[in-house]
Amino acid sequence: MARDFRDDELMERIAETTEPEERRTAPSCLKAKIYSALTLRQAETGPLMGLTEVKAAGSRLCVFEELVRIGSVSERIESLNICRVCHARVLAEHLEHPPIYWKGCAYVQLKKT
Amino acid sequence: MSAAGNQQPDIQLEGSPADEKDAKLAAAVLRKDRKATAEFVTRFANGIYAYVLSRLLPRNDLVDDLVQEVFLAAWENLEQYRGTSPLQAWLMGIARHKVEDHYRARLRSPGAIDDLDGDSGALASFPEFEEMLEQEQIRKNTWRVMSSLPEQYRMALIWRYWEKASARDMAAKTGKTEKAIERLLARARAEFRQRWNHG
Repeated sequence: MARDFRDDELMERIAETTEPEERRTAPSCLKAKIYSALTLRQAETGPLMGLTEVKAAGSRLCVFEELVRIGSVSERIESLNICRVCHARVLAEHLEHPPIYWKGCAYVQLKKT
Repeated sequence: MSAAGNQQPDIQLEGSPADEKDAKLAAAVLRKDRKATAEFVTRFANGIYAYVLSRLLPRNDLVDDLVQEVFLAAWENLEQYRGTSPLQAWLMGIARHKVEDHYRARLRSPGAIDDLDGDSGALASFPEFEEMLEQEQIRKNTWRVMSSLPEQYRMALIWRYWEKASARDMAAKTGKTEKAIERLLARARAEFRQRWNHG
């Protein structure tokens, strides 16, 4: 019993002085999957913010989003989750170093961090 | 989910400038701004990942799913974030609950505690900490030993000592008796000590 109390105290000291692992960064493909899952979940409850509004808020759009924004005939099109059909998403979700480089792409931003 | 459309959510801005920045980000995510959502993941994924990884070690196969669950739960509850504390801390609270849910489910399963009964035998005593040369060596040894422990032992120790849950709390959450949790912890500590000394 005495040993058990001692072990208890020692475990408390170990826990106080050690953190489990050196900090590791999340894999970029996990970040891509999380982003995809979040936007998918957001789109389930209604349209995403329109691309014109996103741009007006100060964010840079990717080349494909810009094309959609310029060519859109309705706000509904602008609010679609177009990343769902983009090859950048597929590459980013499956490759740790996806060959995607263009500016304004959320998946490019995620792979950099 | 009640994050309605693109309406401006009512988020109080009472904290520090950093908290205000967090509140603005949360509000933009709630408005379903896709770029803000990407920033949300960019800013917080590493911290949440490191925490979950450390608590589930060495079950790396479970980490990705749990981290994703944390973010989805955050989205579901983001309207409750008041902007009065850092978003990182708020997210970490969700992560802690998710990890605790995992511990609870694993330790709750029938036989999870009693099946591990074993005789650790007469064991050498712990080396005195004053004798340990470096903090880094302690850390490495600790996690070498933790990684080698049976899952229930490892979870019980992390939950009790790193997450600072009481045995009573652990018992209540797993549906076990406090005595059973104390026994589990005693065996886990003994096994930890044995592996430490003979590793």
